[in-house]
Amino acid sequence: MASRLFVRRRDGRLEVRLNDAGRQMVAEAFAHVLAAESDPEHDWHASLNGPIDPSTDLDDPLATLSRQHEITSNVELAIATLHEDFLNDAEAWAWLCSLQVALRGLVTAKGLLSADRLAQSDVATRDYITTLQSLLFGLADVM
Amino acid sequence: MAAVKPLRVSDETQVDTSVATLTLRPWNVIVWDDPVTPMSVVVVILRKIFGYPNNKATQLMLTVHHEGRAVVWSGPLERAQSYCVKLQVAGLVATIERDA
Repeated sequence: MASRLFVRRRDGRLEVRLNDAGRQMVAEAFAHVLAAESDPEHDWHASLNGPIDPSTDLDDPLATLSRQHEITSNVELAIATLHEDFLNDAEAWAWLCSLQVALRGLVTAKGLLSADRLAQSDVATRDYITTLQSLLFGLADVM
Repeated sequence: MAAVKPLRVSDETQVDTSVATLTLRPWNVIVWDDPVTPMSVVVVILRKIFGYPNNKATQLMLTVHHEGRAVVWSGPLERAQSYCVKLQVAGLVATIERDA
């Protein structure tokens, strides 16, 4: 049986059981999210700026500003706690949101928006997606 | 002598039917399916953002999975926008639309 990546301790904290390679992989995903939010040229930028109301040409600027602020706040908190052994609930939520944004950014940028397209993607991409999903499964289990 | 026709006095309230009734249609927050997001993650996000109990969040997640989309909340525009932003910040594909 595979060991769990995240464990809820009796004191309420969430223990992170990632090794150095795992944390390095997570760090890269968070760095991509942070860069994509501010860089329009980044591959993931479009997926972070999807329409809120598709029936209008432009979304409410306050809503889009709020989204930008919240994505950045989450990923900055996630990066700041990258090497912690224990997370509180707010930090775990920031990790979950940032990892999920990374997953969506990757699949959108590579056009893997259907199960068929996903199955046809290269092995490295599928491995990366599977790893992100494993981290998300582990986090969701303890939240 | 002609009979005097009594005046009919009505005590019914007169209703002015010329005034249109304004009905505000609510805005729906929609979550869309995608092939990679783990189901348990969708449930956690719906619980956290809307405060839904686990069974309601699970039911909505299954609707998204089987039907491709689900209305997860309905109400005024400003709150719908706010919830949609929170779902997008959490990495889900979400939009709003006017209720039909």
